[in-house]
Amino acid sequence: MVETTLTDATLTDTTLTNAASASAVESTCTDIRRLDPAAAAAHLRAAAEAGRGFLGLDPVTQNDALLAAELARMQAQVFRAGDMLLGSVPNPDQPRQAFIAATSADPEPLRILLGFLDTRQRCNSFVAMVPDGAACAAAFASCGFRQVGVLRDHRYQSGAYQDVIVYHAESGFFASADSEVPCSA
Amino acid sequence: MFGVTVRHFTQADIPVRTALLRESRFQANLTDFAVVAEDDALVAGQRRTIEQEHAVKRIFTLCGPNDQVLGFAWITSIDWRSQTCELSFGVLPEYRGGFGAIAVAAAHDYLRTELNMRVVINQVLEHNTMLHSAEALAAQQRVRCPYDSYTVGEWRTSYYWTTTEDDVRQHHERTETRRREIAERIRARRTA
Repeated sequence: MVETTLTDATLTDTTLTNAASASAVESTCTDIRRLDPAAAAAHLRAAAEAGRGFLGLDPVTQNDALLAAELARMQAQVFRAGDMLLGSVPNPDQPRQAFIAATSADPEPLRILLGFLDTRQRCNSFVAMVPDGAACAAAFASCGFRQVGVLRDHRYQSGAYQDVIVYHAESGFFASADSEVPCSA
Repeated sequence: MFGVTVRHFTQADIPVRTALLRESRFQANLTDFAVVAEDDALVAGQRRTIEQEHAVKRIFTLCGPNDQVLGFAWITSIDWRSQTCELSFGVLPEYRGGFGAIAVAAAHDYLRTELNMRVVINQVLEHNTMLHSAEALAAQQRVRCPYDSYTVGEWRTSYYWTTTEDDVRQHHERTETRRREIAERIRARRTA
């Protein structure tokens, strides 16, 4: 399993840090590390309840090998910021759009990821599909995502069907003055 | 009451399950294919299930209250569209009896509440009374299949039955009724 650090110096390097703005926002961690699929699967399992529904995956019904295979198939990028996991998957039908996932309510790592995707990967549209009641909804709301729909009974978990809330944001709506994607060279 | 948890089978579990596949009662009661399989082949087969066979077969590890491995459950004949599968068990010798029934219930519960299976097919060889008494087997079997399996030098008759959502609901109702009756008896004794 591999963790690499995202730097903004080049697209192939890997640490996004936000030391300059860390004092301006309440954030548990602003150092984001990219995980390979095997490491991402292990962290998703460790995330327990918060990992269920992340990019449509579920560690309760999928073993680590299947999680890793699905992440690879989707060309997902998964990042770790402290205990928080963040993910993005390109929309194959609209390469400028990415599906985004998160496992906690902390908005700052999410804002950094969105900035990275905007600035370095040319994404200008972001969609999040969040299980109803998930804590990460607060992070999306803080980053300028708007609720655009509800998929009724979209997923089955713990013996019941559950709604999934669809959020959307466009490039420019999530950025704040404090959170331009700063870089550690 | 102690609980049993169900988790995904991992590579770390392979040695324990391989030893179980070679255990004498397991071979008589389920299958004895491990007698003629090399260790490497048994390991490779289980790794293949973990890594590649998610759509057709899954193995789960049954754990006790201290996360100790009690045994394994595995599903085969999976029909995702019809939401049915066949469920099998192998409990480690030291935990047979005490944890057996709870482990069976935990596995059924997982299949229903997380994998959304509606009908679970059970199969037990007639002579195997490790998890079900002979009377219970005879009472719940729906299909009796002579010459179903050949294990440890003998042809075995097999019993098949299904567990449906109605069965689970009725079981829960019976359990709740029993619980209420016991609670009322205790209350009556205290007030007497």
